[in-house]
Amino acid sequence: MVDPSDRQDLVLQTIGLRKHFGGVLAVNGVNLSVPPGDLRAIIGPNGAGKTTLFNLLTGDLARDSGRIYFAGAEVSGLSPDRLCRQGMGRTFQITSIFRRLTALENVQTAFLSHHRRHYDILTPARRLYRDDAFALLERVGLHEQARKPSGNLPHGDQRRLELAIALAGCPRLLLLDEPTAGMAPRERHEIMALVARIAGDTGLTVVFTEHDMDVVFAVARGITVLHQGAVLTEGSPDAVRGNPDVQRVYLGQPAGR
Amino acid sequence: MSGLSVGMFLFLVSVGMSLIFGVTRIVNLAHGSFYMVGAYLMVTLVEILPDRPWAFWVALLVAPLGVALLGAVIEVGLLRLIYHRDPLMQLILTFGLILVISTLVLLAWGPDNKSVSRPDALAGSIPIFGQPFPSYYLLVLGLAPVVAVGLWLIFYRTRWGMLIRAATVDREMLGALGVNVSALYTQVFAFGSWLAGLGGALAAPTIAVALGMDGDVLTTAFVVVVIGGLGSFAGSFISALLVGLLQSFGILIFPAVSIVLLFAIMAVVLVVRPWGLLGRPEQ
Amino acid sequence: MTSSARALVVLAVALALAPLALPPFFLQLLTEIAIVGLFATAFNLLMGFGGMVSFGHAAYFALGAYAAALLVKRAGIPMLLALPAAPLVAAVGALLFGVFIVRLTHTYFAMLSLAFAQIVFTIIFKWKSLTGGDDGLLDVWPPAALKSPAAYYYFTLATVALSLVALHAVSESPFGYALKSVRENPRRARFIGINVRRLQLCAFVISGAFSGLAGGLFAFYNGSIFPDFAYFTKSFEPLVVALLGGAQSFFGPVAGAFAFKILEWLISRQWPVYWPLFLGTIVVLVIVALPQGFVGLAGGRTWWTRVTGKT
Repeated sequence: MVDPSDRQDLVLQTIGLRKHFGGVLAVNGVNLSVPPGDLRAIIGPNGAGKTTLFNLLTGDLARDSGRIYFAGAEVSGLSPDRLCRQGMGRTFQITSIFRRLTALENVQTAFLSHHRRHYDILTPARRLYRDDAFALLERVGLHEQARKPSGNLPHGDQRRLELAIALAGCPRLLLLDEPTAGMAPRERHEIMALVARIAGDTGLTVVFTEHDMDVVFAVARGITVLHQGAVLTEGSPDAVRGNPDVQRVYLGQPAGR
Repeated sequence: MSGLSVGMFLFLVSVGMSLIFGVTRIVNLAHGSFYMVGAYLMVTLVEILPDRPWAFWVALLVAPLGVALLGAVIEVGLLRLIYHRDPLMQLILTFGLILVISTLVLLAWGPDNKSVSRPDALAGSIPIFGQPFPSYYLLVLGLAPVVAVGLWLIFYRTRWGMLIRAATVDREMLGALGVNVSALYTQVFAFGSWLAGLGGALAAPTIAVALGMDGDVLTTAFVVVVIGGLGSFAGSFISALLVGLLQSFGILIFPAVSIVLLFAIMAVVLVVRPWGLLGRPEQ
Repeated sequence: MTSSARALVVLAVALALAPLALPPFFLQLLTEIAIVGLFATAFNLLMGFGGMVSFGHAAYFALGAYAAALLVKRAGIPMLLALPAAPLVAAVGALLFGVFIVRLTHTYFAMLSLAFAQIVFTIIFKWKSLTGGDDGLLDVWPPAALKSPAAYYYFTLATVALSLVALHAVSESPFGYALKSVRENPRRARFIGINVRRLQLCAFVISGAFSGLAGGLFAFYNGSIFPDFAYFTKSFEPLVVALLGGAQSFFGPVAGAFAFKILEWLISRQWPVYWPLFLGTIVVLVIVALPQGFVGLAGGRTWWTRVTGKT
């Protein structure tokens, strides 16, 4: 058992997280510890349980057993909107934005919710948090597209927008589910470098899943390797790279996806 | 005891609706209208056929077929054009059909209530446990297991039934295997309509055949289908029985409250298990 | 001033001057248009803005009508004091039903809302001692000062205009943004901290309240109220009107109300029996042949996925 006082230091911690999926044990006793400021990559072959783990962390799935701690407080079983208010932000594997709203409106809505103004029925919302939204869009490189319907933006820009939406909530922890999926290699590095920069500037902790090992080793400060629903090993990029178990598990994977 | 017969009519309508949804994924709001057309067709057939003992039975045979034909025409002429559309658009379209069909019924049969007399063989009543029990209801009750078993046999023992069950699980796969899914949809819709028409035809001698019976049966069928689960045949059966019984007993005890009781149960089911007792969760 | 604001001003002036030029019959038609426009706009707050299609909004219309009418007839309360009860009672009804209804989505949402409306209908129908049942409530008139077609027309116009201003404010407010975000992507909305069900319930109650107000206005316009104010075919009206006029813009339903009522008048005076047939056929045709709806005839993009017109 981890001493409660230790828990305070960790942004995210899970103990014995378990989840069945119709007979398959998708997540099998995952213990995760993420210290503040970490840039943690969760890697593992397909079916290792990465997305399931994510959905458990973000309240989209109900766990079978185990506990989740966020900044020292237990958050197991909280709904996604409550978790967001606690300071967790996330992006999804398939880009999840408000397609018929403009990029600006997407981010404004995120701000409005963050500042708990979403039950205000009297004030015109058009100007609220507009400057903040513009600033955030600029941060992620979308200043030009602010007024375009977000559904019309190219894939990479939509990803950036989703990042901005998540950041609008001033999260302490950012969970990115395959943030570079569907991007060309250069764009992948760009967006992860952006994430790393923002995290560095704001002290944000980031946990992300990723298939592209180049990106992982370029950006991550810590790596957790999942295999068949459990943690195979955890540690610094170098330690993980040199780990024989990891190499064995990845043997047969196509090189550099 | 009449509650069980009411449950039977409901069952026929609900299972038809459930079946259509299960295969085509369309909630046919006009299903209550099919029930009504079945009842009205029954009225006309009994009127035009000679006054012989067999007239009633012939009418009972033909009326649902008429409704099945109507269903097939609607499926081929209209529904085929909207299968790929937003489910709510489909819902609205079938809602529109309610208006069309009810006006056509009004034009064809006029605004007055109609009735169908029970066949002489079943006009009387039989004492059961000391209470007179209308013989006609015995017919309906007797038909219940026959229809239920018949449906079960069709779904689980014929090739066609197997195709239907496969279609409720995975339509694309079925098409990929070379089955004419289009024709199957038409057949299913016609069969579902036939069931609703049969319900209406059977119910005709027990109620006032009037405009507005489409709405009444529709919402009750909804309650049944929601409680039992859309797409579940067994669910519709159990649910229809429960609802039929509740309606009848409720009417004896608290006439005004019985429907509210129904609603309360439906609300509870929806809160606890939105996909019904035996349905599958919404995708 | 933008062109649409200019158009609104012209319209407002025309409407205000109408009693000077039009005979009472047309004033009455305009009154009905205003009421239907309000009903449809309230309905569209849920459908167009919130992405929730209710098939049972007649329930709140009827609750409003009966609440106001019963207060006047049974409790002797003057109309101006009774009318506020209409949106209040309807809001309570929307809250009660909405708690269950918003738990569901799409088809089930529509079905459950339909079923609740039928419950309301049945209760009104059967509770004869209170509501008059099938016979309805007769002689539900406004006070003498508002009784003439012109007077009631102005009263309705003012009430509806104020209500539309309020609804418009809601649609442009942070709440409106949040509602649209829930329509677009409930999962994402959750993950910016929005409790989706609670927000939807709020929208449901607001929508129900204004639908009830429309019902109350209609009660005193019509002079009598009947259970079929709650029948499901009445629920169809705001839906068709909103689709006709364009669900993605705020004033679409009002435009639809004009078109709908004028069509109804034209058809019903010749062939009253055929109106439901006509209505049903139009809806079927629109859905089958015009994927973009009537509004799409002018545009060219898929109507249901059109970017909102007014934001």
